[in-house]
Amino acid sequence: METFVFSSRAKITTLSMMGVGLLCLLITFFADGGEGHHMRFWTNFLHNSVFFVGIAAIAGFALAAFTTAYAGWFVQFKRVWESFGTFLLPGLFLLGVIMVGLFTHGHHLYHWNDDAAVASDAILEHKSSFLNKYWYTFGTIGFVGFWYFMIGKMRNISIAEDLDDRDNEFTYYKRYKKYAAIFLPIFGFTSAAMIWQWIMSIDSHWYSTMFAWYASASLFVAMTALTIMLLIYLKSRGYFPGVNEEHFHDLGKYLFAISIFWTYVWFSQFMLIWYANVGEETIYFRERMQNYPVLFWTNLGLNFLLPFFVLMRNDTKRKMGTLFFASALVFFGHWLDFFSMIKPGARLSLIEMTEHAGGHAEGEEHAEMGAAHAEEDEFGHDQHAEGHDADETAALAQGEVVSEGDNLQDPAGRNEDAIDNENIHFDASEEEEGVPVANEFRGGPPDTRMGGIDELASATDRTDADVFEPNHFIQEENIGDDEMLGHLEAAGGHSEALSVLGFKSGYTLPGLLEIGTFIGFLGGFLFFVLSKLSTARMEPKHDPYLEESLHHHT
Amino acid sequence: MATIRIEREGGEVTGGSPEESYVRAGQREILFGLYDDEVKLLDAVRAANDAHLDIDDVYTPFPVHGLDPLLGLEESRLHIAGFIFGTIGCLVGFGFMTWVFTRDWPIIFGGKPYWSVPAFIPITFELTVLFSAVGMVTVFYIINGLGPGAEPRRLHDRITDDKFCIAFDVTELGTSEVDRLRDYFDRTGVETVHQKTVAA
Repeated sequence: METFVFSSRAKITTLSMMGVGLLCLLITFFADGGEGHHMRFWTNFLHNSVFFVGIAAIAGFALAAFTTAYAGWFVQFKRVWESFGTFLLPGLFLLGVIMVGLFTHGHHLYHWNDDAAVASDAILEHKSSFLNKYWYTFGTIGFVGFWYFMIGKMRNISIAEDLDDRDNEFTYYKRYKKYAAIFLPIFGFTSAAMIWQWIMSIDSHWYSTMFAWYASASLFVAMTALTIMLLIYLKSRGYFPGVNEEHFHDLGKYLFAISIFWTYVWFSQFMLIWYANVGEETIYFRERMQNYPVLFWTNLGLNFLLPFFVLMRNDTKRKMGTLFFASALVFFGHWLDFFSMIKPGARLSLIEMTEHAGGHAEGEEHAEMGAAHAEEDEFGHDQHAEGHDADETAALAQGEVVSEGDNLQDPAGRNEDAIDNENIHFDASEEEEGVPVANEFRGGPPDTRMGGIDELASATDRTDADVFEPNHFIQEENIGDDEMLGHLEAAGGHSEALSVLGFKSGYTLPGLLEIGTFIGFLGGFLFFVLSKLSTARMEPKHDPYLEESLHHHT
Repeated sequence: MATIRIEREGGEVTGGSPEESYVRAGQREILFGLYDDEVKLLDAVRAANDAHLDIDDVYTPFPVHGLDPLLGLEESRLHIAGFIFGTIGCLVGFGFMTWVFTRDWPIIFGGKPYWSVPAFIPITFELTVLFSAVGMVTVFYIINGLGPGAEPRRLHDRITDDKFCIAFDVTELGTSEVDRLRDYFDRTGVETVHQKTVAA
């Protein structure tokens, strides 16, 4: 079959998926009313828009990269990626909705869009030349528009090559390659800028130079997984007779390799931040490890361990069943990865806004947050409010004490457990003969830490209490990340983030509405891609590399 | 019919009679043809399969795509050794650092706890790769009888350079069967045909 026929059954399926998504979006919008600033709706909308726009753009990147590398193996199914790329046009409209929301203040996804907050915040002020709605608009329209133009141009050249039956060998191919070569470097920079704008700036005080790599790797894996699943579907419908296990083997290798690359970038980002232990940076991971442990570890398990062990073997990449299974899980895993990039930061913004709106009066605060958010009250802004958990008060009180420079005074509400822990740690290490011992320092402010270590050098003969008196920063119940607990006051206005957030569906883990929205966007993406696929021949019959693709051996 | 170059110790005898047998116990007589590119080689292997000729081995200067299935070779099991050695390296690396930094010589680095797992990961990774690589090379050498001091066993010098070789074991074959092989070499566009006695 030369052209794809978009069967009515496939149409109905994708359209009903879109229906489910629309319904879920509406329910999310109305269920989480004004007091939640529709945050759940907007984050879901942004999450899925960026995810699928990213997949479309990365498909264009793959085409351009493989073409400039003279690769031939993928040529048979390159129309699939060209169709992916055309999704950038509807994607532009989706992101346009977010963009309009910036100007009308219809959503509060981005802290930097709040003029009052920027004026009173040195960090946001400093970033405001990049993080502002005009840059956002320019980037979204200009860059995504540019990507769409380039990928669309490549697709048109490839289709024109099909229709031209003269012997033209490399004429079209060379033009295609020119566009690919121009697209690549520009895409490299612009995609990074847009990922910072769209996603990283949700945690608007935080930044990481690895973030764009990390997100792009995530998108590349998701794109490969979706390609594999779509190709398996199309093959089962009788299309692409020439695509065989050799091509799937290569796609599987990409899935495997880029999953490892994703892990590498993920870990590089994590380890640098963990090692440097600067409060402005650690807050990002601290928040996710402490309050979203299931999300955090599932992300790693699904996106690293699963593809690593399943796809390591040769034959799992050559069998449709195992490959489809791994692709589906990894695809969902990277959707979850984007979920974990967006939701925790947005939830903090939500809490912050609630406080600003509600002032310091606890009664109002309760009203603002609504009954459903009751479990979050414990980190209301007022640190001395009654009813706070004792440990929390202790931790916050210590923060205050230190910021006033009064390091040595034991604050009144100090947690007994913390003192006990400290002594136990010390005693245990004391027993090591002849080795200089130390307490496990847990990220206090630098001056405190340095003081502690200096004292250590000459303090082996002192008692525990003398030596470790200044270290007030031990907190109870740290789940393995205690070493990266940031400075209390350095969290850039997020001091309340040090509290423990309760479970909240749609933030802590995706709820049914999130899954429904995901299905809806996936349906929309597939609907668009399949209708584009049906407008041209499936195999580019005059492509100079088609022969190589048909006789591809891994 | 192609001339057979018979190679004996002390030099090559061109045009000797293939019937003369110098094979002693523990030796094999090998008849092999050299081809000048891999496309001819692949066609020749296919022709040999069609004619049910029993190929002893094929030697190429570089890996030729699609040759393994034609020869009916099974997939190498070397990567299983790689996985096992990698696992050992992973455990050794992680275990060793755990022992050093929590039991043997606990020191605080940068205010981190003794058992700071993220800092161990790069080294664990390196040791996984190292053990896996060194282990696989060692296993490969042992299985193939290679390594320092091993006697190089090659039929012809140019097999390691630019010639592709198909070899048949003719120790136990009679004249008519050897003629059949010579005929086969002629049909498949061989460049030269050689006969050589090698250690079994």
